[in-house]
Amino acid sequence: MMKTLIIKEIRANFLSFRFLASFVILFVVVAVTALVLAGDYLRKLDEYSQRQAEIESYLRSYAHFNRIGNILQATQPPIPFQALVRGLTADVNMGEFDDDPLPVMFPLIDLTFIVTILVSLIALILSYDAVCGEKEEGTLKLMLSNGLPRSKIILAKFAGGVVTLLGPFLFSVAAGMLIILLHPRVSWTGADWAALGLTVVGAAFYISVFYLIGMLISAAHRTSASSIMTSLFVWVLLVLVVPNLSPYVSSFLAPAPSQIKIAREISRLTDVDRDNLGRKLMAEYRGEVRKQYLVLAERLSEAEVKRRVAEDPDYRKAYEADRAAVKRAWEEANRIQNAKADVLRNDLRKKEKAQTGLARSISMASPLADFSYLATDMSSTGIRNMLHFGDLSELWGRAFGDYAAKKMADMKAKVPTADLWNTAVDMTDAPRFRYTEEGLGGRVKAALPPFAVLLGTCVMLFAAAYVAFIRYDAR
Amino acid sequence: MTWTIARKEILSNLLSYKFFIVLLLIVLLVATSLFIMHRDYKQRMADYQVIRPKPGDPVALLAPNPLSIFAKGLDDAMTRSFEISTIGIEVRVGQRGGNIIYSFFTAPDFLYIVRVVLSLVALLFGFDQVSREREQGTLKLLLGSSVSRAKVLLGKWIGNYLSLAVPFLLVTLLGVSFLFLDREVHFSSGQLGRLAIILTLSLLYLGFFLSLGMLVSALTRRAATSVIVLLFIWALFVFVIPNLGTLAARQFVSVPSVRALSEKRQQTWTREVLQSERGGNWAEGVKTISRENDQMEQDYRLKFERLVRLSRDINRISPAASFLDAASEIAGTGIGEESRLKGEITRYKDSVIAQILANWNIENKNRQYPVFTYGPRSVAEIFAGGALFDTLWLIFFNILAFAAAYVAFVRYDVR
Repeated sequence: MMKTLIIKEIRANFLSFRFLASFVILFVVVAVTALVLAGDYLRKLDEYSQRQAEIESYLRSYAHFNRIGNILQATQPPIPFQALVRGLTADVNMGEFDDDPLPVMFPLIDLTFIVTILVSLIALILSYDAVCGEKEEGTLKLMLSNGLPRSKIILAKFAGGVVTLLGPFLFSVAAGMLIILLHPRVSWTGADWAALGLTVVGAAFYISVFYLIGMLISAAHRTSASSIMTSLFVWVLLVLVVPNLSPYVSSFLAPAPSQIKIAREISRLTDVDRDNLGRKLMAEYRGEVRKQYLVLAERLSEAEVKRRVAEDPDYRKAYEADRAAVKRAWEEANRIQNAKADVLRNDLRKKEKAQTGLARSISMASPLADFSYLATDMSSTGIRNMLHFGDLSELWGRAFGDYAAKKMADMKAKVPTADLWNTAVDMTDAPRFRYTEEGLGGRVKAALPPFAVLLGTCVMLFAAAYVAFIRYDAR
Repeated sequence: MTWTIARKEILSNLLSYKFFIVLLLIVLLVATSLFIMHRDYKQRMADYQVIRPKPGDPVALLAPNPLSIFAKGLDDAMTRSFEISTIGIEVRVGQRGGNIIYSFFTAPDFLYIVRVVLSLVALLFGFDQVSREREQGTLKLLLGSSVSRAKVLLGKWIGNYLSLAVPFLLVTLLGVSFLFLDREVHFSSGQLGRLAIILTLSLLYLGFFLSLGMLVSALTRRAATSVIVLLFIWALFVFVIPNLGTLAARQFVSVPSVRALSEKRQQTWTREVLQSERGGNWAEGVKTISRENDQMEQDYRLKFERLVRLSRDINRISPAASFLDAASEIAGTGIGEESRLKGEITRYKDSVIAQILANWNIENKNRQYPVFTYGPRSVAEIFAGGALFDTLWLIFFNILAFAAAYVAFVRYDVR
């Protein structure tokens, strides 16, 4: 009987206008998006290699150790998944003079967007009258009089609805993938396929959440006209409002100091304040040394000092103690001021982390945010990838440090008096930053919490829809 | 007769569940949005007070724009701190930098609420105007009393528009008057005028969606069909076209990525520093850095403006993009304003560099620089720069949708 019910649902949906309209719109939007994004990815790829070439030519002629950190930096190359999911890779660049305002005004459209906005809307459109529509048509009475248990009906409605939704969705994604893979330069690996598969599973849960919301609301209303109003109201709140409010709300609940302010304070601490402290300590330490070595009390010219240091071993000892005191004073000043700066820095980092964590938790009340995190983490375009990128660049930084030490030792061996920091050296043999995507295991682990939230929401919503349907007055 | 129909519409709306939901949405969202963005503005203002440069520092820093409470736009980018030195412009970001969640979602400002949510609400007012009355059989009665269809349609439009616009304006004005209670948020009279223009644009924008709803309603036999068609049109207009349009424009206008520009700048100044240390003249180096950066910037601006023009032209298929562009430009947080600010900052940098070069021997600490001042464009300039076109375009959309709705309604089979 279950099978008959499900087939009835699917058939009823297939023949409806809303199914046809959804299918067409989904297919067209996915295809166009895939086409445009794939083109964009290839363009980015070309530009990336051009940028690398420019860095190479710089390394040949102008590289010097003092400022090489400004030139050789870890940069994220475009990855094939960006033809589907853009995530955080949009080129906004707020930390530099050249920022790109377009993605701020018009956020990019990608598979995440299509699933979160379009498909969820389609899910609601298909389900808002699942129960009350049948009541209005009078078929609900007929069905129930056949002695069918309500649990079976609601389960069949859910199963049939999700199957009809997944059909067009999978078909459109397959078409989009075909468009992307037709570009000969896009190489899609096995891990990418697995990640895509898991993202699609996540999308299926996301779609189910909205289908269930529609069903629940339809089982709580007498007419489909009011059911669609409530459905859209809930949809607007969950999809368009809660996620967008979350970072703002968390910035009030868990404030973090301004980065500019901290940067200014740190530069004051390690510059002006450090100099003042250094001078004070220097006077103090030198005073002590002077008390010990009375010979230093004499004021001598520089040439005189040089002569005395060379001739008089006692004076030389005193002179060296004086030098050591100066060095100690500055080291102490640097240590104290850097410790103060570190306190500020750590405090900022801690507060920012708390704020980000809170914003993420608040936003996860919305299925849209859950799916966004899931999709971006699975496709290495999200927060997880930023951390992974940080790890990789740290590793590379260490490798480059080793290289620099070795290279500088070589330079010193060749020319002992060379200015190691400000001499141009051919650094084309330096280790380069190589970006590799994180393994699938780590990505899945990062995507698990949002996945679990979506699954839990599904179960809860189904239970609620079931209860509402049991209590539904079929008359 | 038109007024009688309008009144009837308003009264029947007042009693409907739809109106209750819509009212709830408007009150909830407009109030929350104003509250949140007001707090955000105050927080940024407090930051601004802390990081304000001392007079004489070569720093370009704008105060947050109070209109960003309504139209956030690029205000975050415009209120960064631009610090000038011999090697170029160093940029620092405020609060935003640390919290990555901001980059996932659009700012929920007033413009967002109107553009995304209230447009949907306007559609909900229009979607069943004709088809539902046919389903209920009241359309026959209405037309049986020998009222012209034009009057019926106009009456319906006016009635529903008022049911939407009046609560919307009331809630907005209430929210704005609460903002006035806060002494720290100060609107100049010019800014109030701009706010009035933004509200007018919002009303135009919502009027279009109401007419669109009535048009589709007059084209379909059943309200259920009409709502589905409208939801898809809405998604296309509000999300798909504007966001895809900017990406599509990039396929035709090749603009270097901002990352490439930053890398180039780094290469230029480090190269010049190295050459000066090899025995070159640092003053010459400073000149070269400034010149090459300006050259690159100019080149980029040219291409970027072409890209913006093209993407605007593509996006204009959707009134949502027109509305966003026009309203954010008028608020002074749009792409055009940011571009202009960048130009001014580059000019300021050039004047600072010129001053450094002229007084080369003065020690850095003792130098005093002129203060950076920026006067945003006047409303007339903004209108001339494209906002007028967008406004007319919105009016055109309104007329088009209403005329089409009229034609469809005249041909409507009431049986």
